[in-house]
Amino acid sequence: MIALRLISFFAMLVSVLPAGAETPASGEFAMLKKAAFRVDQQIAAFYRSKNLQVPSVTDDATFMRRAFLVAVGRIPTAEEALDFIEIDDPTKRELLISYLLGSEGYSSHMSNWVFDLLRVSDVRNGTIGTNTPYRHWVREAVAANMPWDQFTTRLLSATGDGWDKDTAAVGYYTRDFGMPLDNLSNTMRIFLGKRMECAQCHDDPFGETERHDFYELAAFTHGQEPIGKKLIEPLYTELRLGDKYMTDDYHIGRMLVDSIYGLSLGGDGAGRIALPPDYQYRDGKPGDIIAGKTPFGKMVRMSDRKDKGGGRKELADWMVNKTDDQFAAVIANRMWKRVMGKGVIEPTDEYVEAKDTNHPELVKLLSDLMRELKYDLRAFQQVLLLTKTFQFATNPNASVVEGGDDFHGRKIERLSAEQIWDSLITLADGDPDRKPRKQLDDRIKVAGRTVLAGKKSMSQLSKELLALQSEAEVRSYFNRLVEEVKSDSSSGGDGSMMSMSAAGGHDSDAMVRASELPSPAPRDHFLYVFGASDREVVDGASKDPNVGQVLSLMNGFVQDELVNRSGAHLYKSLEGITSDAEKIRRLYLAILSRTPTAEEMALMLDELKARGDEGCRNVVSCLVMSSEFLFLQ
Amino acid sequence: MSNAARTFLGVHLVPMLGPTIAAAAPTNAVEGKAKHVIYLFMAGGMSHVDTFDPKPKKKEVMGKTEAIATKADGLMVGHYLSKTAEVMDKVCVISSMNSTQGAHEQGAYVMHTSYDMRGTVQHPSLGSWVMKLGGKIHPELPGYVAINSAPEMTGGGFFGAKYSAAPVGSPEEGLKDSHRGHELSEEDFGRRLSLADKLNRQFHGRYPNVEVKAYEELYRDAVSLMNSKDLEAFDLRREPESTRSLYGTGRFSQGCLLARRLVEHGVRFVEVQLAGWDTHYDNFTGVEGRCKEFDQAYAALLTDLEKCGKLKDTLVVVATEFGRTPEINADHQGGRDHHPSAFSCLLAGGGVKGGMRHGETDASGSKVKDGIVTVQDFNATIAHALGLNWNEIIMSPSKRPFQIADKGKPLTSIFS
Repeated sequence: MIALRLISFFAMLVSVLPAGAETPASGEFAMLKKAAFRVDQQIAAFYRSKNLQVPSVTDDATFMRRAFLVAVGRIPTAEEALDFIEIDDPTKRELLISYLLGSEGYSSHMSNWVFDLLRVSDVRNGTIGTNTPYRHWVREAVAANMPWDQFTTRLLSATGDGWDKDTAAVGYYTRDFGMPLDNLSNTMRIFLGKRMECAQCHDDPFGETERHDFYELAAFTHGQEPIGKKLIEPLYTELRLGDKYMTDDYHIGRMLVDSIYGLSLGGDGAGRIALPPDYQYRDGKPGDIIAGKTPFGKMVRMSDRKDKGGGRKELADWMVNKTDDQFAAVIANRMWKRVMGKGVIEPTDEYVEAKDTNHPELVKLLSDLMRELKYDLRAFQQVLLLTKTFQFATNPNASVVEGGDDFHGRKIERLSAEQIWDSLITLADGDPDRKPRKQLDDRIKVAGRTVLAGKKSMSQLSKELLALQSEAEVRSYFNRLVEEVKSDSSSGGDGSMMSMSAAGGHDSDAMVRASELPSPAPRDHFLYVFGASDREVVDGASKDPNVGQVLSLMNGFVQDELVNRSGAHLYKSLEGITSDAEKIRRLYLAILSRTPTAEEMALMLDELKARGDEGCRNVVSCLVMSSEFLFLQ
Repeated sequence: MSNAARTFLGVHLVPMLGPTIAAAAPTNAVEGKAKHVIYLFMAGGMSHVDTFDPKPKKKEVMGKTEAIATKADGLMVGHYLSKTAEVMDKVCVISSMNSTQGAHEQGAYVMHTSYDMRGTVQHPSLGSWVMKLGGKIHPELPGYVAINSAPEMTGGGFFGAKYSAAPVGSPEEGLKDSHRGHELSEEDFGRRLSLADKLNRQFHGRYPNVEVKAYEELYRDAVSLMNSKDLEAFDLRREPESTRSLYGTGRFSQGCLLARRLVEHGVRFVEVQLAGWDTHYDNFTGVEGRCKEFDQAYAALLTDLEKCGKLKDTLVVVATEFGRTPEINADHQGGRDHHPSAFSCLLAGGGVKGGMRHGETDASGSKVKDGIVTVQDFNATIAHALGLNWNEIIMSPSKRPFQIADKGKPLTSIFS
């Protein structure tokens, strides 16, 4: 039996080899392990210097649950839990990590993280325009494990058609059309851990950043406009203000403006910008044209005489390659937080030079490692997951050091909304990663109705429209399109579940990973109640408890889909089992990824004896309501 | 049924008879007339010049917006607000608001907490402060409810989960999952809770962590809430169709109606959010759209509260993180950018004088000319209206002193 399981575990592992992380057999793996050892050495040196006792290493069950939740964002299925616990192999922890990082679940969980960081939402702020091609681009980039430097460069320097998969990264800017300065502040915060929001309007009284510096930086990205939008503006104004308002013609026009033009990005960064009308300092007058100049690192300058162009590329290159350690250190610290629970330096979006931190050698080691691994975030996380530090037992005490990790063992922490959701659907429906990823819906929709199905797609439409050179061409193209739509027999109602899934989308009730659901989660969704980010601000998620959450565990989704639905996946592992004790053991494994203690077993046996089948449901219900389910140890 | 199953953590699982509204009035009431707050937050930054601080003489500031007269002499509003114009006799416009925060997150944070964002401490939101200083009114219903709002702006901060808002995503649905499933017997429900309680005690014993503890307390609140006969406060279906249509159909509109029901039933603080005011692009279309929902709902709320006699002890606040630039950005199809140095907020009910304006901006609405009100002053004014001691210092767990409105001072001249 055990031998059989062992085989199945390796089979799982081997099955993911092609796409997966480095496995123990590969040479690359040895390199990662060595790196993990170097990290542990630093932590050990810290313990020696402080005369502290090194925390013990946690047991297999806790390790497994922690590794699953951290690496793939969900608890193990009962089958996975049993496999891991019963295997007798000294390297099984390493095997598990390779298995997890090689699975689909890794990129799903990682996508939630990126979506929160970049504020990726399905609809563009203040419009009805879709933003899904960008979301799709980000999701696919994460699935392909695109190196972080390349990912950053693609986002920051993209230009062109938002529906073209090669340039859909323009969504990073088009998401914020009309507010390029906020977009830039976020860019500095996300990628360089530099907070510049204040300097958008005034010199930062506490920092060294002046408003002039901010505008010099803004010069690089200046001139963010939809491609050729002026060509449709006269037509659209007529549609909006004339008697065609709210007719099909108007809806088609609006769709083109919001979802085609509004998703495209012309120009590539002028390189110079005018100081704003309320500019208040002596070093410039409102309206003065100033040239791009970077505020720190290796200086890059643009021309103030002419729009040299290419500013966004220059900015990306500066961020990634010319800011000394900053770019690598910030992402390395963010990854440390993701894996270990707390950044080496907190907050993670305020960069501090290595020498000014509590752990200068470790910080340096991590940013060097990030570069050594060529910004491969999966490999970097694999290193951290392979450390002994990751395996430290849970520390019940609060952190003693302000401003970063104190390495005194894992802090107990509530799961994110996405981790809870993804774990619940695992219980309700089994391994969620067997389901395909959400696909891009490329159909043309006019006022919620799909039109020209099978005849024309959004990407085609976008390509044709953006190629037009004159107002007249746009008008005649528009007229033809209106004709086509009106005479189209395939047009019909939309929004039913069937047509959603036909297009590869999911409605918000679907039992799929949070990463495949609408973004942000609707306000009546389980994810919202548990504090999922509304994706309006950087890292907007909250783990604050509230009464709605416990109501939802007591009475809502959990009861409907898990406790009271006899077809729920977690009951499958009970099929054919007659012993009450074995039933309880399996439920514990499925829900808490461990076997019950003797005391718990006695308690639950009494419950089954008293209530029979209903007792079983009561056990499931109380385990899901337990804090142990909600918290990462 | 066994006794153990009948009560959970000392809370009865079956509704009890007798009055449910306890006399838990604020202990340190001074002179405020308000007992409740309905806090309407215009997320994104509501343009003051297009709404409550129009500059009819300055065409270049107003753009497409026109100023219209209201029921209050001398008070004008943007033409998108025709219904609100009819209730301005109940409203005090604070047109001299001033904030130091010009980004959304920071701006909304300081409005909600009176403090600037810090990496090291999570400040309690205004509703949590009101609960902390004034207490709950209804013993079973949540004291603080946030409708359609951002969770990170309505949390309990260092006061803990007990003081965070109960979230309502959709007013139509009310408080989600607040009823026991039909097929679940009371006995089994009780058994589940007491089993979970046993497990949780063990877990808390191992990890004496505040967040872990918070969930234990929330279960207690949740059970008493489920059993409250006043749970119907969350049920909009109990409102006649005529009242529902008075407010309009959107989520914000129905949220305002729900807020009225909640304060009637003894909820102390209700926040309702209306997002989408970030009109960098095509400001005039944006403002028109937002006002459409706001105008009907706000006018209905004030009228309805007055009709049921609750306006005198309910302070209705309209707040936003900042205003928008008087300059119109032609590059962005007539957009307006963030403008924290001067903007407008509204107060009505709860002893506030209506039909008046406090403070003044300059000719273009760019700077405060007279009667400056900081974000902290504004929050101190809310505390004052409730009769709370806005000077009271509460120490955070890290032993640092905090006040509901930081160093703000209340604006007492606007109260009758």
